[in-house]
Amino acid sequence: MTRHTPPRPRLGRRQFLVRGGLAGMAGLSLPAFLAACGDDDGGSAGGGGDGGGGGGGGGNELVFHNWPDYIDPTEDGSQGTVDRFVAATGVALTYDDVINSNNEYFAQIQPVLGRGQRIDADIIAPTGWMAGRLINLGWCDPLPLDEIPNAANLVGALRNPAWDPTGSYSLPWQAGFAGIAYNIDVTGRELTSVEDLWDPEFAGKIGINTEMRDTIGLIAMSLGVRLADMTTFDAASAAFERLEKAKADGQIRRFHGNDYADDLINGNLAATIGWSGDVAQYNLENPSVRFAFPETGATSWADTMIMPKGAVNRSAAAKWMNFVYDPVEAAKLTYWVQYVSPVAGVQDELAKIDPELAQNPLLFPDAATSALTQSFPSLSEEAEAQFDAAFSRIVGA
Amino acid sequence: MGAPTALRRWRGGDGEGAELLGLVSLIGAGALLAAIGARWIDGPVAVAGLVLVLAAIAAVVVAAIGGSPQTRRRLAPFGLLKPGMLWLALFYLAPVITLLRVSLSELPNRFAIEADFSWAFDNYTRAFSDFGPQFGRAFLYAGTATLLTIAIGYPLAYVIAFRGGRAKPLLLGLVVVPFFTSYLIRAIAWRSLLADTGQIVQIIDALRLGWLFEGVGIMDNGRILNTPAAVIGGLTYNFLPFMVLPIYVSLEKIDVRLVDAARDLYSGALGAFRKVVLPLSLPGVFAGTLLTFIPASGDFVNALYLGSPNTTMIGNSIQDQFLVQNDLPVASAMSFVLMAIITVFVLVYSRFFGTEDLA
Repeated sequence: MTRHTPPRPRLGRRQFLVRGGLAGMAGLSLPAFLAACGDDDGGSAGGGGDGGGGGGGGGNELVFHNWPDYIDPTEDGSQGTVDRFVAATGVALTYDDVINSNNEYFAQIQPVLGRGQRIDADIIAPTGWMAGRLINLGWCDPLPLDEIPNAANLVGALRNPAWDPTGSYSLPWQAGFAGIAYNIDVTGRELTSVEDLWDPEFAGKIGINTEMRDTIGLIAMSLGVRLADMTTFDAASAAFERLEKAKADGQIRRFHGNDYADDLINGNLAATIGWSGDVAQYNLENPSVRFAFPETGATSWADTMIMPKGAVNRSAAAKWMNFVYDPVEAAKLTYWVQYVSPVAGVQDELAKIDPELAQNPLLFPDAATSALTQSFPSLSEEAEAQFDAAFSRIVGA
Repeated sequence: MGAPTALRRWRGGDGEGAELLGLVSLIGAGALLAAIGARWIDGPVAVAGLVLVLAAIAAVVVAAIGGSPQTRRRLAPFGLLKPGMLWLALFYLAPVITLLRVSLSELPNRFAIEADFSWAFDNYTRAFSDFGPQFGRAFLYAGTATLLTIAIGYPLAYVIAFRGGRAKPLLLGLVVVPFFTSYLIRAIAWRSLLADTGQIVQIIDALRLGWLFEGVGIMDNGRILNTPAAVIGGLTYNFLPFMVLPIYVSLEKIDVRLVDAARDLYSGALGAFRKVVLPLSLPGVFAGTLLTFIPASGDFVNALYLGSPNTTMIGNSIQDQFLVQNDLPVASAMSFVLMAIITVFVLVYSRFFGTEDLA
């Protein structure tokens, strides 16, 4: 699966990693984080930016909280899409890759949004299910959709998703797959299935993602459970037991969020549950790092863009969403992040940059890939509480 | 309030009421401050309480200035105790009360932020039943690390104190120098040193000594990082100076002529050490043990960066419950249990070992 592509800036990714590591430590600086959020309340909310007022509202600034390795970096440590957006619109965009996992990020914003205060981000990028939780809790503002004409470019499947049936609170950022990420220097062989993670040869060298829907989803599929049927805890209990056994056996080196790049690249982890685009990017840094689409199937997910309640820069946020839904811009992003773009027409645009990449089924799923892909079902509040409690008992400290 | 009576007696001149005034003002002000800090009283009542605290302080000051020398002498201990007492009331007692209250509260629903007080002793049951292994590992790892710091730190302190000569300040400086770097950075630096492809594992592999390290339990399936040995090693490394410095201080104070005297009285070198040097240095070991064991048993950084899911300590669990699960009641209960266990440990330890030597 080696590809010959134009050189990509590698320097940028290292800086990303450093920042990703800092995001991993975010727990340690939580008080500072909260203090910063608290400080903003009175000031910017009351000030209302440049006094534009009106329906859109907000100033000429924008803060976007996203996951690491999720945008095209440049040599100088900046981000290509961000630079082009700033040049085109004049909006001062602060792009922060502070989301290391949905649950960790939720734990940070919960005490703030739950008290009716606002966080300093105008757009955040939780995965669909988490977006649904935030929408149900009433912690989101509706998007200024009439200011985002390019939303018409979105592929149909990602419009009005299950977590946002009216489609008025969320728009997709990128979608992708969770599968097996492995370092062939350590494993010594190609991995093809989730079962490979439990090989005693890799004892103590396996990572497990703390994203419950990907980890439990993949394990359940490897045990022959159809995810669509997994709406009760009983249906999933075998997968939880398998994971618990692996932990008890000392198979698992660490549970991680999006901060698995270093360990996978430098060989501390033989294999883990990773995300398709991430692994494609790590592969550029160390060709031994590979992604395996498990024989028993992969989970698919979509990350969203939503506006947390009280976000002040509504117009600027709309400009950003409109900008990234332009197929030419979207293709530049896809060329780097190598995820499934939500924008129609990206395949044609990408073919102009990198024809081979435009045929990759992990970016543009063909029928065979789609047939092997399942998504985690929406859970009832009661079931989700059970799933979460059982999962955090295993992966929590 | 006893103040009017106290004032009347104070006018009498013998200063007898002064002690009562001092005591009432000390306890009253402390209790009020703790109550305000724990948010038992708030709003206008808290403002009134604060005014009362100031009044209590002022009363003692006025009584001291206006009273006889006898009065002043009787008031002095209370006046001197007051800053410390008020500090403890506001910054120790109040948070502990708050923690206790939260630990007995319940979250009304999964995403609630404020817990409701409900005598929920269930939190303590959960702290024990769900996190027993983490408590066990915390004390096991901290205890092992403490013993290792004594084993490494005592000879080191001994050499610096008795053989250091003019290099003493330099040697002591070298003990402390690594600590000019942040605690976190040092723990993370060990990750690259101990990594599976890092220098240490490579050297062991090159020397073909893997079997030896696997045999003594330091290595596990060819790795050191993310094993219990790495966590204990990290704790030992990070807390070593807290053991070396107190032991050094107590060794430094020993008059070498005592050792000469022991030798004159036909004691062997070992006997002189065992009967003279060691007993005199025990206060240092005692202080070093407390300085090492207590923070080490609550530590979460080493287990976080050097450990695995099967080596988590109670500090990791508390952090996880506080900051990731946002389950403040259970996290508070766990903190309380940890505090209680450490208090009992310190009481027992100081009863059997050391206090009478602490001068």
